[in-house]
Amino acid sequence: MRCVANIAGFPTSWEGAKRERIAALRKAVEGLQAAPAPGRAGDDLASVAPRQGPHGPVWGLPADLACGALNELVAAHGDRPAAFGFLFTLTALGLKARAGPAVFVAARRALAEFGAPYGHGLAQLGLEVGRLILIETKTDKDALWALEETLRSQAVATVAGVIEGGLDLTSSRRLNLAAAPQRTPLVLLRGAKARASAAATRWRIAAAPAARDRFGAFAHWRWQVTLERCRNGRPGQWLIEWNHVTHRFRLVEGLADRPPVAGASLRRAG
Amino acid sequence: MLNRAAKRGGLSAGELVSNARSKVLDLQTREADPAADAEALRQLALWGLRYSPIATPWDESSGADGLFIDIAGCAHLFGGEARLLADLDRRLRAFGLVPRLAIADTAGASWAMAHYGEAQRAIVSSGQEASALSPLSLAALRLPEGTLSLLGRLGLRRIGEVIGQPRAPFAARFESLLLRLDQALGRAPEPLAPIVPPPVYRAQATFVEPIERAEHVLEAATRLLVHLAQDLERNAAGARSVRLMLFRLDGRVQSVEIGLAAPSSDARHITRLIALRLDRVADALDADFGFEAAAVHVLVAEPLADRQTRLSMDEAAAPPEALAQLIDRLQQRLGHGAMRQLHPHQSHIPERAVRAHSPSPRASPTTPQAPATRREGRGEGQQHTPTSVSVPAPHPNPLSASGERGSGRRALQWTADAPSAPRPLLLLPRPEAAEVVALIPEGPPRQFRWRGVLHQVTGAQGPERIAPEWWRRISGDVERDYYVVEDTIGRRFWLYRAGLYGRGSEVPPAWFVHGVFG
Repeated sequence: MRCVANIAGFPTSWEGAKRERIAALRKAVEGLQAAPAPGRAGDDLASVAPRQGPHGPVWGLPADLACGALNELVAAHGDRPAAFGFLFTLTALGLKARAGPAVFVAARRALAEFGAPYGHGLAQLGLEVGRLILIETKTDKDALWALEETLRSQAVATVAGVIEGGLDLTSSRRLNLAAAPQRTPLVLLRGAKARASAAATRWRIAAAPAARDRFGAFAHWRWQVTLERCRNGRPGQWLIEWNHVTHRFRLVEGLADRPPVAGASLRRAG
Repeated sequence: MLNRAAKRGGLSAGELVSNARSKVLDLQTREADPAADAEALRQLALWGLRYSPIATPWDESSGADGLFIDIAGCAHLFGGEARLLADLDRRLRAFGLVPRLAIADTAGASWAMAHYGEAQRAIVSSGQEASALSPLSLAALRLPEGTLSLLGRLGLRRIGEVIGQPRAPFAARFESLLLRLDQALGRAPEPLAPIVPPPVYRAQATFVEPIERAEHVLEAATRLLVHLAQDLERNAAGARSVRLMLFRLDGRVQSVEIGLAAPSSDARHITRLIALRLDRVADALDADFGFEAAAVHVLVAEPLADRQTRLSMDEAAAPPEALAQLIDRLQQRLGHGAMRQLHPHQSHIPERAVRAHSPSPRASPTTPQAPATRREGRGEGQQHTPTSVSVPAPHPNPLSASGERGSGRRALQWTADAPSAPRPLLLLPRPEAAEVVALIPEGPPRQFRWRGVLHQVTGAQGPERIAPEWWRRISGDVERDYYVVEDTIGRRFWLYRAGLYGRGSEVPPAWFVHGVFG
């Protein structure tokens, strides 16, 4: 009889313990979630970067990159090199603004198509190549691990990454949490496969004809950027231009500064 | 090789098998496998490292059937020489071996006692070598067969008969005899080549119960490292290379070696690296029935510069060693060569103009941090004081010690020595052929097909002619005319034409895509 009573009593106490445990875990999770506090004032690069003017956007970028959270880049179809270019300009900005080295993590497959970053090309983009550490991993999983480990070490100025596949909610949240304590800028170029992720911003990058100087030579690289997602800003689409000397983006006006159109399309237009 | 039963039957090595069979009817023979024997002996010598950091398997001249362990200063750890021998004997018997053991001041004397001594275990006390060796046969001196038989014909059979003799008559004909005799008596040195380089620092633990699980191994490693860290701190040294040895119950020894980017005496950090490595080689590490002992060896230790802990008001700054530890962790998990840093190289050939080295943060904590002040007056940016810069020296390569590669040559810089013409952001691993249509033969491309896609060129910049380096002429190297071209969408490519027109060759120069711009 006593035995039976014990058994009958067991589940309720066990349930209670379980409920308590879950409550404790929930609390812990809430604590963790409170930590990054995205959207707080001073959470963007504005706090560390010079502003153009009282109302001008940071570095001429039309919207703020989130610091201490994941910024995703997605390349438009076939425009992966352009996305690489945008990624490295952001890395150059991060290096300019913060102390320490920059770390660039790439899965080997992600570099297979167009090759590895080239030192002199990076230098011409305005990036301090001597402060850049390149990490090549075998798999995306290793790349994400390396990204997280780098962010957690809190020893670097800025972190950039390229992975081949998509990014799931869990790993993007992990990256967010890892980037939060030092508000390390984190930019990740991911594959086109769309998946839900916890990124603060998502930019779609497409190539755009470069600005020419008066002799017709290439002067500044340009990108067609689309802000598809932004936690505290308005999405939009802009044509921006990178000045590698002043380390500044510039919005290109719609009518002026148009690059010379190819002869072929001129003829078609005429 | 004969076992004891065979020797008792009157057999000797080198006999014909048919003869041997007639002497011993139930003789069993196996093919000799010297390689496997040597490997087994090596394993045993590795196992012997549990007694002392120096163990040497015998080479051919010593018979290749045993090993030396240098127990100088180690015997007391096992309760004296007699206890050590007893322990060694017990463990070797557990492996199914029947050992003959001897301890002596010299390697030669111990070899002689082990082979020709009467007792199965012998300890020659210090200074008694001559009297202990006297009754033994001259064969105990590891002499070549010819010398032995010659000495036999002269009527010399025991070591004692030679010890008292004047040296001069022997020196002319029996140099090896005198050398071996001197070595056995401690008058001439006999260096032992250790099977693994002896460590600088060493800590070892034997477990009551064998351990199997990775966590337990790590726990043991941590404790040993904490123990070692005290020694390291006392000498103001940090480990650069650490080996963890795990002694399996069956006598096999497994070891994990890790290198550190910067000297460290931080037990937690080193344990983390070991954990990462164990993760990576999980399959290679086989606990079998468990590990009975573990040892941590510090193979390379370097002085650890004293560092100021924190004077800067800037709380956000990472400590300088954080970067070194990060590099260590990444290298352990991803393997060497996964991390690179680019350095400019003096060459006009694009693919040779950049070199990748693995990053070494060694310079960063120790280099004077003064040159880090490259911060122009810049509003909020000022909050990072120079002392907080974990990687100082903004140019040209602050992470790697440029002085280390120190030749008299000036280190190249990215900005000052950069090519003036545009360079691509991404360089293809090797140039890829493209079909190009140009308006004039020597002109820029008008349209080109690369990877199956046709690109209409709207603008081209070039050519930039890069000639091959005549001082390292490789056949097939030709002049390249590089163009930066942009297509209608705005994608930019770096193309070159290999070779020149009008060189008498019928084949027109080919075009290649070498890189893409951002």
